[in-house]
Amino acid sequence: MRHSQFRTLAALAAALLSAAAWAWAPAGAQRRPGGGVDVYAITNARVVTVSGPVIERGTVVIRDGLIAAVGAGATAPPDARTIDGTGLTVYPGLIDASTTLAIPRPTLSPTTGGGGGGFAGLFGRTEPSAVSPNSTQLPGLQPEILASDIIRPGGPEIEAARAAGITAAQTAPRGNVFLGQSAVINLAGDTPQQMIVRTPVALYVGLNPIGQGQYPGSLMGVFASVRQMLLDARRFREANEIYERSPRGLRRPEQDKSLAALLPVLSRQMPVVMQADRVREIERALDLAQEFNLNLVINGGLEADRLAARLKAANVPVLLSLNFPRRTAAASAEADPEPLRILRERVEAPKTAGRLAAAGVRFAFQSGGMTTMSDYLANASRAVEAGLARDEAVRALTLRPAEILGVSQQLGSIEVGKIANLTVTRGDLFDKNRRVTHLFIDGRQVELRPAAAATGGAANASGTWTLNVNLGGSGNERQELSATLTLQQQGERLTGSLQGQLGSGTIASGTLVGSDINFTVPITLPAPASQTTDAIFVGTVNGGEMRGTVQVVGRGPGTFTGTRAGGPPAGGGGGAAPPPGGGARTPAAGTLTGTWNVTTSAGSQQIPGTLTLQQQGTRLTGRVETPFGTADITDGSVTGDSFRVATTLSIEGQSTDLTFEGTVNGNQLSGTVTSARGSFPFSGTRTP
Amino acid sequence: MKRLLTLAILFMVAGVSAEAQTRGRGGGGQPRAAAEPAAPTAPAAAQDTLIRNATVLTVSHGTLNGTDVLLHGGKITAVGQNLKAPDGARVIDGTGKFVLPGIIDAHSHSMMDGSVNECTRSVTSMANTRDILNPTAVDIYRELAGGTTAALLLHGSCNSIGGLSTTVKLKWGHPAADYPVPGAPPGIKFALGENPKRSNFNVPGLQPRYPATRMGVEETIRDAFVRARDYKRDWDDYRAAVARGEKNVIPPRRDLELDPLVEVLEGKRFVHSHCYRADEILMLIGIADEFGFKVRTFQHVLEGYKVAGEIARHGAMASTFTDFWGYKMEAYDAIAYNAAVLVRHGVVTSVNSDSDERARRLNIEAAKTMRYGGLSEEEALKLVTLNPAIQLGIDKHMGSIDVGKDADVVVWSAHPFSVYAHPEQTFVDGELLFDRQADIARRPQLEAERKALEAADANRAPAAGGTPPRTPPSVRRAYTDDDDVQDVQEDNQR
Repeated sequence: MRHSQFRTLAALAAALLSAAAWAWAPAGAQRRPGGGVDVYAITNARVVTVSGPVIERGTVVIRDGLIAAVGAGATAPPDARTIDGTGLTVYPGLIDASTTLAIPRPTLSPTTGGGGGGFAGLFGRTEPSAVSPNSTQLPGLQPEILASDIIRPGGPEIEAARAAGITAAQTAPRGNVFLGQSAVINLAGDTPQQMIVRTPVALYVGLNPIGQGQYPGSLMGVFASVRQMLLDARRFREANEIYERSPRGLRRPEQDKSLAALLPVLSRQMPVVMQADRVREIERALDLAQEFNLNLVINGGLEADRLAARLKAANVPVLLSLNFPRRTAAASAEADPEPLRILRERVEAPKTAGRLAAAGVRFAFQSGGMTTMSDYLANASRAVEAGLARDEAVRALTLRPAEILGVSQQLGSIEVGKIANLTVTRGDLFDKNRRVTHLFIDGRQVELRPAAAATGGAANASGTWTLNVNLGGSGNERQELSATLTLQQQGERLTGSLQGQLGSGTIASGTLVGSDINFTVPITLPAPASQTTDAIFVGTVNGGEMRGTVQVVGRGPGTFTGTRAGGPPAGGGGGAAPPPGGGARTPAAGTLTGTWNVTTSAGSQQIPGTLTLQQQGTRLTGRVETPFGTADITDGSVTGDSFRVATTLSIEGQSTDLTFEGTVNGNQLSGTVTSARGSFPFSGTRTP
Repeated sequence: MKRLLTLAILFMVAGVSAEAQTRGRGGGGQPRAAAEPAAPTAPAAAQDTLIRNATVLTVSHGTLNGTDVLLHGGKITAVGQNLKAPDGARVIDGTGKFVLPGIIDAHSHSMMDGSVNECTRSVTSMANTRDILNPTAVDIYRELAGGTTAALLLHGSCNSIGGLSTTVKLKWGHPAADYPVPGAPPGIKFALGENPKRSNFNVPGLQPRYPATRMGVEETIRDAFVRARDYKRDWDDYRAAVARGEKNVIPPRRDLELDPLVEVLEGKRFVHSHCYRADEILMLIGIADEFGFKVRTFQHVLEGYKVAGEIARHGAMASTFTDFWGYKMEAYDAIAYNAAVLVRHGVVTSVNSDSDERARRLNIEAAKTMRYGGLSEEEALKLVTLNPAIQLGIDKHMGSIDVGKDADVVVWSAHPFSVYAHPEQTFVDGELLFDRQADIARRPQLEAERKALEAADANRAPAAGGTPPRTPPSVRRAYTDDDDVQDVQEDNQR
């Protein structure tokens, strides 16, 4: 485990810092050619090759990252590490056809502000993953953004995907209208470069208004802006052609990398992925594709079966979401009954795949932003139960996405010479009791971490910490800074924020495994620097203390120590420290029951709100009130002194998921509220 | 003033919840109809229909008692006595029933996905309502149940020059592509006064958008047309150069914002302008005269009675509320006689809904003009049928019971000006899209389906955890003239 964290750190350091950091890299590419470490043979296994017939008892040999041999007659080479595959089934590594894996979550930077900061703007908006410098277009409308430029290795989401048996994925930037260009990545590798299988793959067009005063602020405006930019790109192409023929006597056309990025789309070389679930959304996408002769791919596809004939005629494939809609919370007694349309939709969703297959529409499965990755194969099984043939289902998880994404020469089936991505299970892939036992990515075995790994007995980092950071260097460059760190732990995952002399920011990714802590904070350095950079903390937690090393990009390495202070992060007047190494303490029933006034800090703004909670055992129900609206809690739980409540608000006509995660300490709450826009610290007090 | 505004806001918020309750419970005199309509299904070719022995309110040529109406091939093919039913025709006994052409709503925001406003700019003529039609919006079915068969879908009133409108027939069960009326003249929304100058919609933290005064609204419109004129000249020059045989000419940029304004200048696109006050109405007439186009309709136009003569002389038409006002400062100086005064000045006038709810009972809105202003029955009926058809440029095909017109026909249980009247059958292009008896008969079946669906695993709440639900985008409720009412509510909550 340490090893893996070390690798992650090394990768970040290597990518962002200095060549010296390479010295830390352990089993890197250098070792691969000579050593026998990367030769594996899985023997006596059932092999589902997908491209050919199933081999009931055969061997798969992996060498140097590739599949070296496969077949009933293949034998394990003497230098191979042999895995007895008796009772196991080897599948081509599963490919998740549309994700945002490895794309950093946007964080709110209070000093940079961006497009203004209306209260409502703080939640529910889709913030672009990256901003293109010297672009003619505003953030959210920049097709030139490349996923491959911004991906980062590692992180809990990638681990969760791997635990579900996924070895590769198409990943695309988040954003509004022109999200950017996707890449196909392998879900392992120490550097972004090692992860990339193909880039760029497709242009993602989203239908998310930017708003906050910035055009487009509506779905109508989104379509208008897409149309205008495609028209502009056509003219850009024509103007440059005319100019190149004969530049004399003509004003030169202005260069424009946003429009230039659209040229492969206009020539159909690059597919366009559009999010469309319902019939009318798919029709809109098809109409737009027809208008501009685009090479369209539908993403989502909930009701795609109802347009199967048109999709087939236009040869438009579907990246079908496995995030099937279903009811997740009991309705309150006063609520109107749910519309039949919604009830039907939930029941019909698993049937779409089978119907698409029957109609001959090409489709591949994708995870649709699901947060519980164990649903991935479970829902694929539901599609099978609802009429999708098993071999079609396996294909939609492997070779079909590879074909649609243009990587079928490298991925998607078990064939000699292809990349050795393999998903090995005990039990059939669609069996309820199936278990992913081994995962190979690029020919290397990947350690599987169950997403729900218990932290029992391990450290719990939740709480407020006072950090002393010693930023290396020597002489007058030596700096000692203090900062306040607020952490919430859920499973192995850490969220929270950092504030102080070092700068401020929200934790982008963080884990606590055993006593090993590892988190990255994009911090905004204090003036005059005022730039945003990453601080990477790696260390250990021991009761109420933590220590380790910190890398601040551009500032050199350093060390840090921390002590747990407890209490809410803002204005709470520190309460008693939670028990060191806690997490085992279960509060008396009804501890959280009550009405809490909470204040969320979003940049310089304080947003008031109320949480009305009822605790029954480990379950939390109740209501969330904010200035933007009020909604019932859809999902709430208590673990020790940590709690989590999720709700969905309708803000400016958009459904917005909000999650409050934090800790309770007597009459004080503190933690982080997360929305699509980012994470913000909150604190709260119980009203008497 | 601030207090008045607050009151107005409170009024509107109260209006919402009342409306929401009505919506949820299925509402007073209307059948619960619309709560659970059948899923849209692919339509078959319209069956012929003969309505026998009804009182036919033709709107164009008086009331015909004991008269038959034949719907064939989507058209009204015969109106008269003792018509013969073609083979296979559906025959409806119209004894005691009233036949009225389908009501046409000249100001609607039904069946639009997402915001009806592109608010971010002062001129958003690139936004097109056609792009966001939602044929599954239940309001369509509810409006059919209220005798409405066609509507002008308008962009909101957020900006001086708003988006493009779509004239639709409410073809419930059909795909979105079947809704726009083929050949209907295109339109565009303009707006004057408090909404485009954002008087009532300050969002804390957001930079206020230009314009902030009525002067600024005027300037915004004039500036847009100056730009449109220049743009047209650029294209004319380019085309002339190409026609002269010049090579290597780079074409001007196609601008989706200015294209529709050029169409307005060329008289090819109708301007439907939201307005309240007399002064701003005169202002827009002035700009239209200056640039040589006609305003097609003034919408809301609550002070139209003050400048009815000027509106008539310009050649514009008017679409108003009967007795709905006082929801903001510019909507105070209104009278219930507005529609009648406009009609008496020779202005082609309609009464519209601007509301998914009011669109179900426009017959009653029209009836009020007999009480306030003394319009004749036929003049009052025209306000929601033939006159809006004229305003939308579709009166050749819709708006009255005349042979050759589209078979958009409603059979009412009583005279549609009675509060007890409700549609029995609503036909669009000859297709029976609402049938009260069939709706009632279907309800037990839907209840059974609901029970079965609710028992399904996907519809039961899990004990805890799981993937958060995918939530459908919330649907905006337009129920007053104020397309931005959600903003107001949010402001109010702050």
